[in-house]
Amino acid sequence: MINTVHTTQACITDENSHVVLRLENVCLEIPVATTETRSLKSTLIRSVTGGRLNRKRGGAVITALANVSCTVREGERVALIGHNGAGKSTFLRLVSGIYQHSRGLFEAYVPVHPMIHKSFITSSELSGQQAIKAHYLMTHGNLLGFEAFCHDVVTFSGLGDFVHLPVKTYSQGMAARLMFAVLTGSRHECLAVDEGFGAGDSSFYEKAKVRLESFLASAGTLFLASHSDDLLKRFCRRGLVFSEGTIVFDGSLEHALDHYHTSQG
Amino acid sequence: MTVFASSVSAPLRRESVRRTLRDAWRSRRVWWFTATARTQARFSRTTLGSFWLGLSNLFSIGVLAAVYGTVFKVQNFTVYVVYLGLGLVVWNTISAAVSGAPNLFEHNRDHLHNINLHPIFYTLEEWAFQLQTFLQSFLMVLLALSFFQHNLLLNLLLLGWLPLLNLFLFLYWFPMLTCLLGARFRDLYQLVPIVLQLVFLLSPILYEKKNLGAMAWTANINPLYRILSPVRHTLMAGEVQWGVGLVLLAVNALGIWIAIRLLNSERRNIPFLV
Repeated sequence: MINTVHTTQACITDENSHVVLRLENVCLEIPVATTETRSLKSTLIRSVTGGRLNRKRGGAVITALANVSCTVREGERVALIGHNGAGKSTFLRLVSGIYQHSRGLFEAYVPVHPMIHKSFITSSELSGQQAIKAHYLMTHGNLLGFEAFCHDVVTFSGLGDFVHLPVKTYSQGMAARLMFAVLTGSRHECLAVDEGFGAGDSSFYEKAKVRLESFLASAGTLFLASHSDDLLKRFCRRGLVFSEGTIVFDGSLEHALDHYHTSQG
Repeated sequence: MTVFASSVSAPLRRESVRRTLRDAWRSRRVWWFTATARTQARFSRTTLGSFWLGLSNLFSIGVLAAVYGTVFKVQNFTVYVVYLGLGLVVWNTISAAVSGAPNLFEHNRDHLHNINLHPIFYTLEEWAFQLQTFLQSFLMVLLALSFFQHNLLLNLLLLGWLPLLNLFLFLYWFPMLTCLLGARFRDLYQLVPIVLQLVFLLSPILYEKKNLGAMAWTANINPLYRILSPVRHTLMAGEVQWGVGLVLLAVNALGIWIAIRLLNSERRNIPFLV
């Protein structure tokens, strides 16, 4: 949830800036639910055999993030770099509180807003306006300022009176425009953005690009996961390179990209 | 500077029940709104809208009262209709809440992986949805049954709050426990409808408790019936069973505490179980 609107344009921070996030040797282990662990029968057998079969209880575990350590200060623009499955999206989910770490120290001093999802929280049977309202309530907790927000979203998305129709009647482009306008309609202290968060049809792209740039620039602190060097160079100054769930490089974006491309061969 | 999300180191510290409840209260407008939106979506494009909730119950009550009133050769049909009607509308709500619970997190899988809401949000939204459904159908059924027993609405307004409060609290924690167990043990999804059907047949809803004879003890240990019975008794007899009501209140408070504690301890694993 957004507590205060914070607009910091600075991309370069110094040691005096407030620490926003601190991670020390953070691990995230994902339990793999197997038939063994999910069956009532095996649980009952374990309970009547005095736990002798407990060896199997834990099942398989995937270490999604291992010994991740970094400190992020207010105003920093951090690029998350790595191939698919390297741990970028998991890291975004961890810092934004969607996933909880298994081990290590994790401190978050500001709310981190995730921009990973691409669907509304309400049913597609409901109107676009209700979808906007649900999102606004979810991020703000109340309806103060909703009218202005709604007006901005409807104007920017160009939906007009279509906003009163069920979302399921929208074309893919209309739905994407509405989603984009809703997600970029508020400012956040700290953003965790996945590149998959797109702008919809190509005719809308140029208009959306300007809004996206303004939106990302308005965030106090930014985490941006992307495979696009151009996008990262436009918004970020620091780079974290991920490989197999660990941070293998932490430094300036330029050096981080060099490190990544060199390691890719 | 205050730590916003968490300041934890190994071993992982579990969030307190009190804090979870406080956060749940703060987000009340969100889960109530999304639950209302679900109700609206459910009846969108229907002519009668949410009236269907009450109508479907009234159809069931009418048919079952006619059939079982004849089968059981009831002496006083008027009393039987009210007895069956109140029992059935409460049972249908409990049954709907419990039977949908094992798959609750599964249905919210995408949100659990992409939105940083505490999982309690989804349980509260479901609870609010069940409450809204119940209130709409219950009031309509009550109005219809008032034709047979005129003081039902008066009894509801003057005395019905304690048994209804117990019903509402039960509708939160019992399905939540089922939901948490269902996320871990998939068999529960298959098991719950079977158990509910058996419990319905064992519960004095279509018949009176005295008809169970030597089997009457089954009703005493049946938690669903213990919640349902005071609602019906209070509305029909016009008296509150204070002792029973207060014990149930304490049980519900304990149930909520246990369910939220379990939710907090399972929170880390929930996205990966669905």
